[in-house]
Formats: sequence, structure tokens, C-alpha cells
Amino acid sequence: MVLVKDGLYYTKTHEWVKLDGDIATVGLTDFAQEQLTDIVYVDLPKVGAMLKAGETAGTVESVKSAEDYYSPLTGKVVEINKELEKTPELINKDPYGAWIFKLKVSNPSEVNSLLGKSDYEKILKK
Amino acid sequence: MRTPLYEEHVKLGAKFIDFHGWEMPIQYTSIIEEHKHVRSSVGLFDVSHMGDILIQGRDAASFMSYLLPSDILKAPTGKAIYSAYLNRDGKMIDDTIAYKISNESVFVIPNAATTEKIHNWLIENSKGFEVNIINFSDKLCTLALQGPLAKEVMNKIYPDANNLEHFTFMNASDRFGYKGLENVTFIARTGYTGEDGFEFIIPNQRVVEVWKLLLNDPRVKPIGLGARDTLRMEKGFLLSGQDFNEDRTPIEAGISWIIDFDHNFIGKDKLLENKNRLNQRFRGLIALDKSIPRSGTKVYLNGDEVGILTSGGYSPTLGKGIGLGYIDQNVKVDTEVELVLKNGKGKGIIKKPRLV
Repeated sequence: MVLVKDGLYYTKTHEWVKLDGDIATVGLTDFAQEQLTDIVYVDLPKVGAMLKAGETAGTVESVKSAEDYYSPLTGKVVEINKELEKTPELINKDPYGAWIFKLKVSNPSEVNSLLGKSDYEKILKK
Repeated sequence: MRTPLYEEHVKLGAKFIDFHGWEMPIQYTSIIEEHKHVRSSVGLFDVSHMGDILIQGRDAASFMSYLLPSDILKAPTGKAIYSAYLNRDGKMIDDTIAYKISNESVFVIPNAATTEKIHNWLIENSKGFEVNIINFSDKLCTLALQGPLAKEVMNKIYPDANNLEHFTFMNASDRFGYKGLENVTFIARTGYTGEDGFEFIIPNQRVVEVWKLLLNDPRVKPIGLGARDTLRMEKGFLLSGQDFNEDRTPIEAGISWIIDFDHNFIGKDKLLENKNRLNQRFRGLIALDKSIPRSGTKVYLNGDEVGILTSGGYSPTLGKGIGLGYIDQNVKVDTEVELVLKNGKGKGIIKKPRLV
């Protein structure tokens, strides 16, 4: 039922990562948005901020709860998805289209610690 | 635990949560959509996790008058009375609706998490009363049909129910009964959404059929517990176990209207003693920025803590964060306050509990 896409990396905390050279695009998985229920506010990181892998990047608020989301990799925030300020529900509608931020990755070897599609699917089955 | 409608919820694509040991639908499509549908049209809730207890016998009404601050003995037959069980300190154990069938028969609906506790509380306090306390919780289901169009749906299904006034009920076993449960099959004009609507208390054996019958009307959509919570919050309705848990009196909780001091009831002495020593009051709050208050959010005025929210979330109607909680008595309505949230600070304004 929950969609896990090919060609992306995943985290245990339910972020997805798309790598394009040294630029990582980060969003929340379909599972995450489904667990959160209707998302009504996304607290975006600041462009220029340095984030460490596993560090809180911001908070996403749903009708039901407020949950942190995390930076999957270490790097500098180079772009944020401003559309989410007005239409946070895009994450519910299209979780793999509604990216949250882009990171210029400073330590490419960290990618090895991310999960592939099948490993992430295993976590969801637990 | 699951209600007899579990398979129906699965078929409708519900997402489930654990609610005090019950696997209940939190949403079918989206909490916001479902919430708005109830406010503008009509929705159907499965609330069969709630309890069902019948008090029968010569002293049934006088016993319930002793158990509740509302005088059930004085209330007319056919009345559904919102009230709350108090402990001996005058603090609320649970809120409930008591259905006065007659002086010899009163039916109550405790909350899911407190059904066993209330059942025991009734038995414990029944010495000296000629009553028989019967727990029907595993034999009966409750459906709530809520929204401005509920009466139009009822026109086709059970038109007599449209003659019911707000907070009254009728026996409906002629249409929804089952052998042996005829005396506990009701339709009541009650609800927990602040909209017009009906609650059906019906035997398990009939519930799937009635659920399908109601959903057969294209205006009726199934609604999960997520929207049930946002709907009640907007109207300032208390949630048992969250907005009070044997720590608040009905006066603090803003429902002093349930108390009739002209009769004897458990907790009366302490209530009278503390009546004029009120420190905090149950209030509503609307966020003045993008913040979404949550249960546990502390409220400050000029740097001093003046209260705590016991419920919080997003109001689909207002498009803003809202909260309910206990605020110092001297903080007036329309005062601007600061909130300390998980992700920083926020601003809000104190209101009466009914926010919408």
C-alpha cells in the first residue's frame, strides 16, 4: 500500500534522498506522510545552514502531532522548497515530488550508511 | 480489541490507531476533509469502543442521582443528561451521558478507557440501593451520525427520530432491535461534534447492516477518530483522561452547569468547600501565528507561567492552531499570551472554550 520508490536512498527516520552529483534532495516518505496524517505546517531549514547527518533539520506539524525530520547527510543547505510554506499538504499528495530541502553534501562516503529501497521496505514490514 | 465494524473500516481504506487498547480508524481519507464534511454535510462515526451500562431496579434513578452531580431523579423520562462522575474529592473520574429510561432504569455511556473503572465504581457505591448493574459493553455498538444534514438522512431511515429534541432519546428496537436487547436499543439526539445529529445504540448483530444503510446515502461519509478530536476541540468539549483525570472539578473544567447542589451526591462536600477557591479555569486558545499548540504546551504571560494546555491541535475550520486547557483565573479572555512549543515559541489569545 505504502509507496517506496526506486532510485532513492532512505533513512530509518523515513526521509528519502535523491542524489545528483554532490547535491542531495531530501523529502519525507509516503509512509511518513501517512503516519503523520494531514500536514499543516513545515518548519523549513535556513539556506546556508550547516547540518550534520542525523541532526534535526526542522519540524513538520500535522493535525495530530509535531515531528522532527532529520538531515540524512552532512552538508550545507543550498535550497528550500518555499512552496511548502503555503501548501504543506503537497507532502501528503505527492511525498516524492514535494522535496523539503537540498543539501550540498560534504562527506560523500556517508551515502553508504543510507538504506536502499529493499532495506527500507524491510523496516516498514517490522 | 476491535469493534464489530472492523472489517467494514478495512474495506473503506481506514488507517488505524490504538485507542486505549482498541484498534480504531483515525481517518479514511484525510482528517481535514472529514472534519469539514461533518461541519457542512453529514458524517458517520463508529464509537462502539465506548461503554454501555444499564442500571436497573427500584432505586436506579435515585442511585444515579447519588453518583452524579446532576439530579437524575428529578430529570424527565426520555432525557439524555450530560454529567460526570466525581470522586470523594469532587474531582472528575469520567464524563458521561445518562439516559433516563424511567425511575427504575438508567443507561450510561462511559468512555472506552474508563468503562471498567466506572463499572466497578458503580458496584462499589451501590450498597443500600436496590439496583442491578449490567455491563452491556460487549453486546452493543454506538454509531454517531453528525452534521447539519443528519436530519435529512434520518427522514429516510427513521423519521420519528426527527421529533426528538436536543439531548433526548427514544427506544428504537422496533427497527434496530435484537432478541434480548430490546430495552437497550436507542436513538438519541446527542453527539460530540457540536453539530445536530444522532447517536444509535444498537445490538452488535445489527450494526453492520445499519452502518451500510447509513452509508448508502451518498451524503454520508465515514469519519475517523482524528476528526472526532478536532471537531470536539473546536467546540471546547472535554476529553476524559486528557482534559481531566481525577484532578479537576467540574467547576474548574467549566461545566458547573451539570451540578445541582439541591441533592446529595458523591463529592458534594468537597465541591462546596472549594467552590469559591478557584485558581484555574478551563479556557480555549487560538494561535496568533503559525504555531500549533499541543497537549502539555505551557502558557506564559509576561514571562510568568499562567497555565497549561491539555488539548491542542489544528483547527480545520479556523485554519489555525487551537488549544484547550487550564489558565489562571485572573487571566481574562482576549489576553495575548506566549506559548512554549516543541519547536520554539508562539503567540496565542485566550478565549472561552467554544472556539468555533
